[in-house]
Amino acid sequence: MNGALIELEDVSLGYDGRPVIEHVSFSIDRGEFTALVGPNGAGKTTLLRGLLGLIPVLAGKIEDHFDRAVSPPGYVPQREVLDSIFPLSVMEVVLMGTYARLPPLWPVSARLRRLAAECLDQVGLTSLAKRPFWALSGGQRQRVLIARALAVEPRIMLLDEPTAGVDHEAEEAITGLITRLNRDQGLTVVLVTHHLDRIRSRVQSAVQVDDGQAIKQPLHTIRVPEAQAAGSRERTQTG
Amino acid sequence: MSTLLQILSPDFLLRDALVASVIVGLICPLVGVYFVLRRMVFLGVALPQVSAAGIAFSFFTYGLVVGPHEPYQLSERVVAMIGSFSFTLAATLMLAFFERRRETVEARIGTTYALAAAATILFLAKDPHGEAQMVHLLKGDMLATTGTSLTWMAVILGGLAFAVFAFRKELLLVSFDRDLAVVFGKRAGLWDLVLYLLIGVVISLGVMTAGPMATFGFLVIPPVTMRLLAGRMLTFSLGSAALGAVTAFAGFYCAYRFDLPLGPAEVALAGAGLGLVAATLVVRRALGGWHSS
Repeated sequence: MNGALIELEDVSLGYDGRPVIEHVSFSIDRGEFTALVGPNGAGKTTLLRGLLGLIPVLAGKIEDHFDRAVSPPGYVPQREVLDSIFPLSVMEVVLMGTYARLPPLWPVSARLRRLAAECLDQVGLTSLAKRPFWALSGGQRQRVLIARALAVEPRIMLLDEPTAGVDHEAEEAITGLITRLNRDQGLTVVLVTHHLDRIRSRVQSAVQVDDGQAIKQPLHTIRVPEAQAAGSRERTQTG
Repeated sequence: MSTLLQILSPDFLLRDALVASVIVGLICPLVGVYFVLRRMVFLGVALPQVSAAGIAFSFFTYGLVVGPHEPYQLSERVVAMIGSFSFTLAATLMLAFFERRRETVEARIGTTYALAAAATILFLAKDPHGEAQMVHLLKGDMLATTGTSLTWMAVILGGLAFAVFAFRKELLLVSFDRDLAVVFGKRAGLWDLVLYLLIGVVISLGVMTAGPMATFGFLVIPPVTMRLLAGRMLTFSLGSAALGAVTAFAGFYCAYRFDLPLGPAEVALAGAGLGLVAATLVVRRALGGWHSS
């Protein structure tokens, strides 16, 4: 590892002044692939939103060892939060990633268009550039959102359950893609998942979020409850 | 055909009204696309009524403080514009502030509409000088459009169209993925405010020019129609504006040719266009399903 990219010191995060998780201290190293795991409602997404700067830190300190203004984080939300009423082509969605460093009134340059095309190529969807975003399958849409995050040219990418609700084949494609980005490009990755069992071989560390706490633990010490693992397999197979 | 040539003639008596109608038809949908995309369509019903209440309030206050206002004078339009814009902006900001609390959104908008309608009538009841003129304004006083007011309208709405186009990246980003906008360090609240200001200006000018009904019609129906056809955001925005302009022109033609009230003619035509597009798509899908089965 090459030193910390983000450090949390005794951090509390929550909503309306009420903490969901408290006294969180860990760091994420450059080039590290970290999973945030834990049961439903434990606060995984709250922790992710805190890392992204979407919710205020109630106590403690989150320190970035990179300049967010120069290189904002790449963010892949759960695709259900996006509204299908927007008539957007695949390329229009990817181009949104380039807006990060464009001031108002500044048009998207030819260089940024090429960058967006390259990002789409990286996720293997160049041929779908002109297709309506909502006409794609769930797995393809997720890869488009990853391409959008890559178009930010980020140091770190944060993904909120990117494989939720997609079939096994799409899940393999998505996790394989994220692994390649981490391994080949040295991209730091933080990923929320219910399925640690499925990506255990790919991640380097995991943060167990449960009972109002978030603790970074060695992978081998984290056990996924059998019922939860079986339940998640069932949901994926039917989804 | 002769009616069409007459309307297109440079000496046409109602040329200013025709141009004003087409400008409103062109610009309202540009803002209306965000009403549709942000699922704020009900807001589009209430706000023109709030704008009308603002006009009635400004006439009432002017009558109290200064005296009776002069019908068809520029000063009267300025007074109406101030009332309309301030009420619309205040209501837009208030309703937008609560936009994310979805569970009571219909109740809030319904209450706003009822209160605005009641306030309009109450202010008018206390302003006998304003009543006749107000009725014209509420119906859409398109025929009273003068060269001066048309110039002002073209300048303001032209600037607004430029702003919508120039800030389309930011407006799209905060509307489609607000969290991403915040992650990018964009001031999402500021861009929401810009959008609401644009909405306030369009509705105020639209109501004074074309009336609440036509304004609402142009805000919503062309974007809803284009939503069925467009697969890209740019096509959606420009197509909605073009459809609005064509509908406004066709509505004006029908109103002039068949001696119909202008606003309802325009809205009815826009509705017919929507019905035609929807029916065509349903038939196409049905035929596609039939062919593939």
